[in-house]
Amino acid sequence: MSPAVPDKETVDIIREMGGGTLKICYQCGTCTGTCPWNLVRTFLPRRMMHRAQLGLIDFGDKDIWTCATCGACAVRCPRGVEMIDVIRAMRKVIAEMGVAKVPDSLRVSVKNISYVGNPQGEPEKERGSWAQDLGVKPFAPGTELLYYTCCIPAFDAKVRRIARATVGILNKVGIDYGVLGAKERCCGESVRKSGNETIFQELAKGNIQAFAESGVKRVVVNSPHCYHTFKKEYPELGAEFEVIHLSQLLDQLIREGKLKFSKEIKKKVIYHDPCYLGRHNEIYDEPRRVLQAIPGVQLMEFQSSRKSSVCCGGGGGRVWMETPKEERFCDLRLKEAIDAGADVLAVACPYCMLMFDDSLLSIGKESTIEIKDISELVLEAL
Amino acid sequence: MGNVESINSPNGILVIGGGMSGLTAAIEAAEVGYGVFLVEESPYLGGRVARANKYFPKLCAPYCGLEINFRRIKTNPKIKVFTLAQVENITGKEGDYDVTVKLNPRLVNDNCTACGKCAEVCLVERPNDYNFGLDKTKAAYLTNLMAFPLKYVIDTKVCLGAECAKCVSACQYQAIDLGMSAESLHMKVGSIVLATGWKPYDATRLDNLGYGKYPNVITNVIMERLAAADGPTQGKIVRPSDGKEVKSIAFVQCAGSRDQNHLPYCSGVCCMGSLKQCTYVKDQSPETKVSIFYIDVRALGLLEDFLQRVQGIEGVTLVRGKVAKIEEDPATKNLILQAEDTAAGEKIKESFEMVVLATGMVPNTVEAKIPGNLVYDNYGFVAADAAGVYAAGCVRRPTDVSTSVQDGTRAALKAIQSIVRRGANG
Repeated sequence: MSPAVPDKETVDIIREMGGGTLKICYQCGTCTGTCPWNLVRTFLPRRMMHRAQLGLIDFGDKDIWTCATCGACAVRCPRGVEMIDVIRAMRKVIAEMGVAKVPDSLRVSVKNISYVGNPQGEPEKERGSWAQDLGVKPFAPGTELLYYTCCIPAFDAKVRRIARATVGILNKVGIDYGVLGAKERCCGESVRKSGNETIFQELAKGNIQAFAESGVKRVVVNSPHCYHTFKKEYPELGAEFEVIHLSQLLDQLIREGKLKFSKEIKKKVIYHDPCYLGRHNEIYDEPRRVLQAIPGVQLMEFQSSRKSSVCCGGGGGRVWMETPKEERFCDLRLKEAIDAGADVLAVACPYCMLMFDDSLLSIGKESTIEIKDISELVLEAL
Repeated sequence: MGNVESINSPNGILVIGGGMSGLTAAIEAAEVGYGVFLVEESPYLGGRVARANKYFPKLCAPYCGLEINFRRIKTNPKIKVFTLAQVENITGKEGDYDVTVKLNPRLVNDNCTACGKCAEVCLVERPNDYNFGLDKTKAAYLTNLMAFPLKYVIDTKVCLGAECAKCVSACQYQAIDLGMSAESLHMKVGSIVLATGWKPYDATRLDNLGYGKYPNVITNVIMERLAAADGPTQGKIVRPSDGKEVKSIAFVQCAGSRDQNHLPYCSGVCCMGSLKQCTYVKDQSPETKVSIFYIDVRALGLLEDFLQRVQGIEGVTLVRGKVAKIEEDPATKNLILQAEDTAAGEKIKESFEMVVLATGMVPNTVEAKIPGNLVYDNYGFVAADAAGVYAAGCVRRPTDVSTSVQDGTRAALKAIQSIVRRGANG
């Protein structure tokens, strides 16, 4: 075997594409030891960083698409290497420069988003149809709050229940809100994480313009992914609106006495921290406070929670990719919830819901535990 | 608070801290002929060195060196030692410092012969902080068998006081005075040596490694007490959860060190500390499996020999990989470590009966800075002396014992120069 020769050009490209912190990695392997993939298979992010440092990345390696960008490694990294940025840079090299193949299912989803603004490939004009029978107003100038519906609740027949529960609460509380329907498109968070920077920029600019034209000042979202990009990425592109996650809004309404419960939910509820709400944005307490405020709810915790929460596997574009049945660490999480004796697994993210719903079907435990968004639980108790 | 007679010693040196660096500075300066006032917060001298089992690389007992230093103090009238004493305030400038020292009550006077009768009759127990709470002492206790000064001390926080007073009647030497109260001492000195030392990084902040949550995860400083003959287990290395002899043990290097989330710097001694502790384990139980998980082994200079010696011990494995996570098997209380063997490119999930976290050093100047113009770095270490105030040992940088001795000598020389220079000029 001949010794490998470092390829400086590749290193430079990865760094230019946003993987600048790559160089400071000192190869301790904390990322490997932390990564949830190692619960189900062997995946060595440390080695990927090493190869990237040397420019010896095989861009055809399927593992470039493995990372769910959950951030578990990055929060523990002793050197502050932004692993997600490095992986995103490598994906960018593939997606934007065409040096290797993008996984088919991801390619199709991103193409759909690019054409019709949603990954499912549904007609744009149908974006608001989930709300048809609910008396939801279109957003008009002067409306206080925009409810921005993530593509998953807007179009996925099962996850739609999150959107319906959310407006159910907003209607009951009497908040002045509206929706944009066909005027809004995918937020682009996962599009960006899967390397499609150009498409992300188009989506973001389109949404920023649409929000501005409609006079949107404040937005509430269900998805921590929408929250993340609105909060941390859109402002750099000129966005000036305020974003709040539904759990924060509910927590605020409960504290102000504007949201009062009238029914009991006598159930053991275990809360799963979504990566993009918890680790990426450090919102840990609000969803817990909301659940605890519901009369009768007994709140439980996973062994690994908050900062150490284990990902559902749906971030970073993984939600659109196939994961072999035996490699779904989401299943392990669900089994832990069942073993702990929980009646309900509470989520605060449409991706988590999609992933856990799938797991529930595949392990065949539909009669043992329910998957519910916090909005559903709150609405039930109103 | 009463006052004791003030000290006026413009050519004298105040040494703050009675650990290895401070002891050395005090003795060296006194042996040159300068008056020295050594102020130590705890009831004994020797600091963290006194609590270690062995020095590296020679593997001799710390009391060997400490005893010599204690004798040098005893035979030198130029040194005045104050234990249970805290510097409260410093004003003035080089050559003319006004210092206020609070003398906390020992409740035991100089008549004490350390016979131990007081502890025998004492009714109250307290967690033994000297042994990191692994055992208990009575409220009347001796910190350790080699303590200097060799006098009992009564913990005022838990002592029942005059209503109990069993110790007072048990003592044949009228050594116990439960009426003692804190006193204030004022002194004028010419220069100051700051040697307040360090504390281990708070391992409970390493929430992925389970210290404080799992009983069999301990730290390197606790391991020193477990291995010490005068420690809580009389030197037997056993598991805190069940007292069982340990058949497999892992050392986790850089537990919080070289980590921007904790201590960004390397403490420089923890690698050698763990290699040394491997020999404790192997000497007691040659068949015990020992693994050291490291990022880089920092055994500098001649210490390389020691590394090679330990590497050669059968059943000692060095694994290049930082431990990312520790979980407990609730049934066995064993610990499951997750890491990557980065040399082999393999993930590791391995079980051990006990885990030692090699935590780094935090200078006490992070929490307690002294008044004056000392310059501190981002981590709280003293980066530069001020005129008249000289830092020594681990308040300057993380150091091993022998470097602390050299550093104490450096500070003594600087403090003397400060006094002599002014004498020549003025």
